[in-house]
Amino acid sequence: MKIIKQVGILFGICWISLAVEAVLPIPLPASVTGLVLLLLCLASGLIKIHHIQEKADFLLGNMAFFFVPAGVSIIRYFDVLRSAAIPIGVICLVTTVLTFGATAWSVQLTVRLMKKRERKQTGK
Amino acid sequence: MMSELLESPYFGISLSILAYALGTALNRKLRTPACNPLLIAIVLVLGVLLVFRIPYEAYNAGGEIISLFLAPATACLAVGIYSKRAILKQYWLPILVGSATGSLTSMASVYGMCRLFGLEDALTASLLPKSVTTPIAVSIAESAGGMAPITVVAVIVTGILGAILAPAMIRLFGIQDPVAAGLAIGACSHAVGTSKAVEIGEIEGAMSGLAIGVCGVMTVVLSLLLF
Repeated sequence: MKIIKQVGILFGICWISLAVEAVLPIPLPASVTGLVLLLLCLASGLIKIHHIQEKADFLLGNMAFFFVPAGVSIIRYFDVLRSAAIPIGVICLVTTVLTFGATAWSVQLTVRLMKKRERKQTGK
Repeated sequence: MMSELLESPYFGISLSILAYALGTALNRKLRTPACNPLLIAIVLVLGVLLVFRIPYEAYNAGGEIISLFLAPATACLAVGIYSKRAILKQYWLPILVGSATGSLTSMASVYGMCRLFGLEDALTASLLPKSVTTPIAVSIAESAGGMAPITVVAVIVTGILGAILAPAMIRLFGIQDPVAAGLAIGACSHAVGTSKAVEIGEIEGAMSGLAIGVCGVMTVVLSLLLF
């Protein structure tokens, strides 16, 4: 019964998210709405972690598995992939390195500025 | 008789689980991010469908049921963010700045390169969100007119590249701060990269895990502004 309740809570949130998606004027994906809703429920104490712990561990721990069918449906897009495989590969490689560099440097800069400010404040 | 059996949802579900179990076992044995369990599972299922000439629709009777779990799994990313709220509070500014920079750089560089290669719009839309975790990337691609399966493959390839290249990129960019390294790994290569970040260090792992959720939400917001 415990697991059934947890499934109920999470599936319920997903169903409410679909309703929110239908009402909202912006195209916010229902799965992301679900993430935000659950975060709000946790932060407000409406749902406690132990209410969903086992089900969440199951879903998060096996996250990749749930994408097997989505990946297999590439069978319908073989033509597109064959003609653009090289550009897609190059794009993935270059943008991954760029994103890493930009993120790491911006974080290092922010941390450095924060430390400088802290030192100034304590130095007063 | 045979086709009836193949059209049962049990077939697609069992085949997927078997393929994924083999992928996980292989990954454990070889211990390299290049052997991503999801990638191996997809290739195995594709192989079975092509070799035995099983129609995709028959497999998908079971596939649809597995896909049903994607939305609740995405929602559960909230549990990860919530349980790390102590680090989130301490480093909220660097996390926010890094995630915003990372998400923006990723989308802008993908868009620019797609234009450079003259890729069609549907393909560009499929690749745009490729640095974030699969469920969020797929949702963004779909609402932008992209092809979800292409997104799934691009996300996995990006994750594997990030995991393999992470140590080299840390040296290349001269990153000393573990907070910066962790956030950068999570921002460019989501959960697959995070599995490598956890090996590099505890702070790197936690930061990378946090970046998955924050960058995901950030990329959704950016894509709402763009489309």
